[in-house]
Order: sequence, then structure tokens, then C-alpha cells
Amino acid sequence: MADFLTGMRISSSGMAAQRMRMNTIASNIANINTTQTPEGGPYRRKDVVFEAMPDAKNFGEIITGSDPHGNMQRVQVSDVISDRKAPLLKYEPDHPDANPDGYVAYPNINLMEEMTNMIQSSRSYEANVSALQASKDMAMSALEIGR
Amino acid sequence: MSGDLFDKTTNALATSMRMRQLRHNVTSSNIANAETPGYHAKKMDFEEALGRALDMDGANGLSTSSKEHFAVGGVSVAKTRPDIYENPEGAVNNDGNTVDLEKEMSALSENAIMYKTALQLINKKMAALKYAAGDGR
Repeated sequence: MADFLTGMRISSSGMAAQRMRMNTIASNIANINTTQTPEGGPYRRKDVVFEAMPDAKNFGEIITGSDPHGNMQRVQVSDVISDRKAPLLKYEPDHPDANPDGYVAYPNINLMEEMTNMIQSSRSYEANVSALQASKDMAMSALEIGR
Repeated sequence: MSGDLFDKTTNALATSMRMRQLRHNVTSSNIANAETPGYHAKKMDFEEALGRALDMDGANGLSTSSKEHFAVGGVSVAKTRPDIYENPEGAVNNDGNTVDLEKEMSALSENAIMYKTALQLINKKMAALKYAAGDGR
């Protein structure tokens, strides 16, 4: 039988995934003008890929064959991908990274897009926090039975 | 038979709490995956199955003429099984996700309130038993 730990595990996986996404967005915003990277060229916008993962089964469910966990899925970041958009070229002949024609390649990052993603991510994080809080409240109040 | 001390109501409340806990986990899973591409929101029903098992109107079980007879027809409350399925409602997003976060959040609080309601009812029953066991003191 599923317990509250399952719900708490699922909610915390959601929080972890959103935190990872938030870090990626922060990195994108911080590097909005970065023209040099260890890989060479300008910084490339990063994005996370979310994946639903069935929550681990416990022994009881395996022997009884009941599988409510098949319906309960954690979320995890399966990959961090680099945006393939072409860099923005700006004419700045005095810049040390300018190409022979005088153009500098800047990351193709739209600040508005990053900000909206950030708000969405923080809202999702809050939703997971609420779910976790509810799990905790329910579990704690269950301990009060018969008091 | 423990039926005298812990009656059908207590069992039904316990089952209801168990189901609400499961539904809570299902809802949590929907919330966690609100932005996962291709994830389909799950829905869980148990009220009808529990109602059938409780058999308030006595329509489901066949009557037996002796205590030794096996009960026929009625399902035991403890054996109530939830029905979890993909929610057919909900618009499909660009990324194939069908989670409606507002609905899930309200379902979450509603479910938590109902859980606490069942819990309070159990506590009331326990308090009554305690009172009786303490000679009414």
C-alpha cells in the first residue's frame, strides 16, 4: 500500500527538478552577454528536459501484484540540452572577439523568455511545496488518532 | 468478531482514509509532472466502490438464513479497490501534457480536508469508546 512517503518523495522530486530548471535559467540570464566559453564560441542557452519515472515499487506490491505505483510518477531531469539557435551577430569591430568582418557572436538569449520561464518554474516549485506540506499535515494528523 | 467494538463505520472510515491517501499521492504525482512533456494526468475513483462495499441499502448482498453461511454478493469494505485511470478531460498541451494545475491544487486541498474529516470522525468514535471503557468518567 502506498504511504505518505511516496507522495513526499514525488513532491520532492518535483521540487528538485524545478530547482535544476531554475539553476539553468539563472545560468542563461547570467551569461546573456558571454562571448567566450571553454568549448569556444559564445555561450549557448541551456534547457532542461523533464521525464516522468514510475515511483519505485516496494516488496509488498511485487508479491501481491498490485501496482498503484505504476500510476504514481516522479519527475526527473533526464537531460540538459543546448539551444541550437544561431548566435546573434553584432557589429562591434573594437571587441576582442570580433571576427575579421567586425561582427561579435552573442548568445541568442531572450530575457523575456527566461523571465517567464523563471516565474513558471517558481510557481511549479510552490505547487510542489504545497503538496508536500499537505502530505506532512495529513501524516501528522493521522498520528493523532485515538489521542 | 471484532464487529462490536470496531464497527462498520470505523472500517469504512479507515478504508476511506487509505483511499484518500492514495489519491493524495496520485494528485502529487500530477502536480510534480505538470510540466513533463507527454505526461497524462491520472484520476482516481473510489467513492462508488466504497459505497457498493458498504451496501447501505442492502441491495448488493444476498440474505443468509444462518450465521454459518458464507455472505454472498457483498464485497468487504477492506477489499475496496481504487480505480486509477488517465483523466479523459483536460486539454492536451503542445507538449502532450494534460495536467490542469488549478484543478489538481483544488483536488489536493479538497482531498486533504476530506481526509481530516474522516480522521475526526474516527477520533470521535475512539473518544466514545474511551469514555465507555473508563466507566463514563
